[in-house]
Amino acid sequence: MVTKQDVENIAILSKLFVAEDELDNLTKQMQEIVSFADAINNAPDSGEEFDNINNLSNVFREDVVVPSLSAEEILKNAPEQGENHFLVRNHA
Amino acid sequence: MIKKIHDMLVSKEASCTELTEKYLTEIENSNGELNAYVNVTPDAALAQAAKVDAKIASGEEIGMLEGVPMTLKDNISTKGIETTCCSKILTGYKPIYNATVWEKLERDGAVLLGKTNMDEFAMGSSSETSYFGGSANPFNTKHCAGGSSGGVASAVGGDIAAYGLGSDTGGSIRQPASFCGIVGLKPTYGAVSRYGLIAYASSLDQIGPITKTVEDAAIVYDAISDYDPKDSTSQGRIGAMSFDTVNNDIKGMRVGIAREYLDGVRDDVKEAVLGAVKVYESLGADVVYFDMPALKFALPVYYIIACAEASSNLGRYDGIRYGFKAEHYNGTHDMMCRTRSEGFGEEVKRRILLGTYVLSAGYYDAYYKKAQNLRGTIVKAFDDAFRNCDFILAPTVPMTAFEMGHAVSDPVETYLTDICTVPVNIAGLPAVSVPCGFNANGMPIGMQLIGNKFTEAKILNAARAYEKAAPENFKDTKWGVKL
Repeated sequence: MVTKQDVENIAILSKLFVAEDELDNLTKQMQEIVSFADAINNAPDSGEEFDNINNLSNVFREDVVVPSLSAEEILKNAPEQGENHFLVRNHA
Repeated sequence: MIKKIHDMLVSKEASCTELTEKYLTEIENSNGELNAYVNVTPDAALAQAAKVDAKIASGEEIGMLEGVPMTLKDNISTKGIETTCCSKILTGYKPIYNATVWEKLERDGAVLLGKTNMDEFAMGSSSETSYFGGSANPFNTKHCAGGSSGGVASAVGGDIAAYGLGSDTGGSIRQPASFCGIVGLKPTYGAVSRYGLIAYASSLDQIGPITKTVEDAAIVYDAISDYDPKDSTSQGRIGAMSFDTVNNDIKGMRVGIAREYLDGVRDDVKEAVLGAVKVYESLGADVVYFDMPALKFALPVYYIIACAEASSNLGRYDGIRYGFKAEHYNGTHDMMCRTRSEGFGEEVKRRILLGTYVLSAGYYDAYYKKAQNLRGTIVKAFDDAFRNCDFILAPTVPMTAFEMGHAVSDPVETYLTDICTVPVNIAGLPAVSVPCGFNANGMPIGMQLIGNKFTEAKILNAARAYEKAAPENFKDTKWGVKL
């Protein structure tokens, strides 16, 4: 059972605001989605561990310096920047 | 289609500039209704076309994709060209690097007409969660083009792009291709680089072609599948080029039918798919029937894993490095919360919340861990199935294109429509959706051919054999460029 309190707690973890008037509907929807996901509880447990479905392994490379993007380019899309840094004001 | 354009260019029947102008004019004429493109790039397209024309004029040979006008889904990064994922949170974002797939196609001389519409962050089945509104179906504009790569499908189906690249996390290439009566290939996980694809669910996402014909899908797949050191999950194309074998005989191929795929499918869709089975039999293929009970759990497994990965991937949108940032706030936590709450749409927020829920302490074992375990069971079920058949034939979607507005009204009901497409992503397999009929209202029906890992050449060969045997299922619409 998903409660309003659950939704409020998850929203904090997700860094999202849930408006008071959205809370009832969102809790209802979350409950519906979670009950749908609950179907997996009826599935037999294979007892096996599957951690690596796509058969991936670590990829290594030589520790050498290769060309990378400049600070100027990286900052191009920042809403605010200054002195070669991303700028984050405490208030706006 | 691609080969036809190539031949037209080589024989100088039309110049690349003329052809590109034709496409741009048709985009202008129809995009108001189709809403396929969210950003048209005429200047860059015409500049590239002029280069191709100069090359042809100087007597140089051109490649198969050189000068062919095409489009990219708006989650594929294009250097200097706005890439928004159709989300408010990325409005104005101009990537500073290219996705590897675009790097390759640009090098091959492709003419990019513009970026196409999609569900916000590829989360949706009708392209209506897009910040720019939904894309219409070229067969009937009261119906959606599907999603999430709805814009590419609408553009290719409506002949305002010769082909396009989409991405498929739970069906987002195959479902819109099926709805718009065209071909969509979701490659094996790792066959095509994901570098520069804006992430939704990284263990499921894969880029692939949406085309008018099977031959075109083979041409584009061969061009984009390659090992890429910039994507640590990349493996590249394993096996032969698919174009070389696409016209081979399919006599003796074993077509597998898993009964679960036909459960709950609308009658008209079932009839069309079973009709295709008969076509395969007439072509000399053998048909084997079997059960795959593990598929029953594929849908919840998919939504749990996809949302869990999305909640982590979308953590990067914090208003600091790129995209939208809330105007007024008090403190950094407040800034991030406001930015995200104002910047993300409803469906994206729902999936972030669900993903956070299934990953949080107390629920992790019951949902996320259990889903990963079942993912393994589904992988094994496919491994077993491919011991008895060369590919599995199934409906792509249990129904035809929904009417506009229908998909957004009930989230869970909409999730259910992905039932036939998600197992492929869970198991990392390749699958191609091919048109196999029309319903009573003239809306296209699609079927998918699912292969074992890295058997793109085989499934494209089988799809092409069907296309040649049943050409009546591949129809043009009233829209776009007529070649």
